[in-house]
Amino acid sequence: MHFTDWAEAQDYYFDEGLTDGLPIIPPTPERVEAMLDYCGLAAGDVLGAEGIRHKSFLAEKVAANAVMAGCLPEYFPAVVAAISAICERTYNFHASSTSTNGITNLALVSGPYSAQIGMNDGVNLMGNGNRANATIGRAINLVKSNYYGSVAGDMDKSTLGHSGKFSFCFAENLRISPWVPLAEHKGFQRGSSTVTMIAANAPLQFECHGDREPEGFLTAAAHVLMGLGPSLSEIVLVISAELMAHIVAAGWSREQVQAFVHENSQLTAGDWDRWRRMDKLPPNADFDRVIGSVASPDRITVVPAGGDAGEFMAIISAWGSSRSVTKEIAVPGLASG
Amino acid sequence: MPDSTGGIYTIDPRDESESTRAVLATRPTSLDGKVLGLLSNNKPHSEELLRMVAGLVGQRYAIKEVVEYNKGGHQWPADRAALEDLARRCDVIIHATAE
Repeated sequence: MHFTDWAEAQDYYFDEGLTDGLPIIPPTPERVEAMLDYCGLAAGDVLGAEGIRHKSFLAEKVAANAVMAGCLPEYFPAVVAAISAICERTYNFHASSTSTNGITNLALVSGPYSAQIGMNDGVNLMGNGNRANATIGRAINLVKSNYYGSVAGDMDKSTLGHSGKFSFCFAENLRISPWVPLAEHKGFQRGSSTVTMIAANAPLQFECHGDREPEGFLTAAAHVLMGLGPSLSEIVLVISAELMAHIVAAGWSREQVQAFVHENSQLTAGDWDRWRRMDKLPPNADFDRVIGSVASPDRITVVPAGGDAGEFMAIISAWGSSRSVTKEIAVPGLASG
Repeated sequence: MPDSTGGIYTIDPRDESESTRAVLATRPTSLDGKVLGLLSNNKPHSEELLRMVAGLVGQRYAIKEVVEYNKGGHQWPADRAALEDLARRCDVIIHATAE
């Protein structure tokens, strides 16, 4: 496509519905090539194939969307891994992209790569102000609408939507945690970097000031979680630095946090029924059957992240039957883990 | 980078590959004597809705038989073997969503 100038290109992309409502960087061949070259990719390389609409995600097209989003070439390895992840069948990209639930695609980065490209894992990490966070997440969602065809109001039928549909990407904060990085916890080699993709609802933030015992503030987390249950396929529990310090002082492991939150967010079927959180039970149902807010402890991804001040947590619930998918980020110059 | 005229070229971010054209199944001229399939996606009340529709169809046509199949969940495609079996057994199939 040829335009007389930058402004004409902007107008075209707006008029064709090829933006998320914000201006884009016109994807010139030079910028797209720089993106591909950084990752050693050819234009026709397939980054992933989605099985419902039978879409093969071509590297050149994904790179064009990444340029539009404002990505630098060094961000592109995360976008490449993210697109590969959402093509896994268990992610159920097609259904989550059409749902009335208002789902976005959260990219959660773990490992040394996040610091190498200057991602925000601290103050306001889920908000604005960091180019890597903002544009990696935006690139994924532009691919969803521009390439996959899940355009808001057309194939995307989100009833309410949320601002994470512009971009939702942040990094684990490795400085506030004694635990192994999430990448290693998910089974990847030490030192590797990963992106975990989650078909995500909006984050639900809550505060727990004044309680130093993990049993205290994690009980609060469990009760917040009960507002989203039952039987969620997965959740992400983001724990900020001050609360992580209490967890470290108490010597709790990631698995202990998972088990405690799961155990304390269960209710009987009768309670869920009374809360109107599930279909009305027939009279002969087992009202005493215990049902978790989330399916099992290992479906709770615990992420240390956020700014130093303030005792806050956030719960991000995954959509319906979708399961998160984690892929290693192939960082140029580093041997693949 | 501007070209020699000062203009710029851009790459189209859309999927430009050829898509496969789907063809609608041939519609029967009448439903008299036909086997009617009801394909539920398991959404709440979807089976009730389909049965209501089948009842209305049955008032207007002499339906030979009604075959019901529930694909078990709206979030996943139906099992292919089950769909092929349904297609073999039925002349027409009604699919529905509901809440």
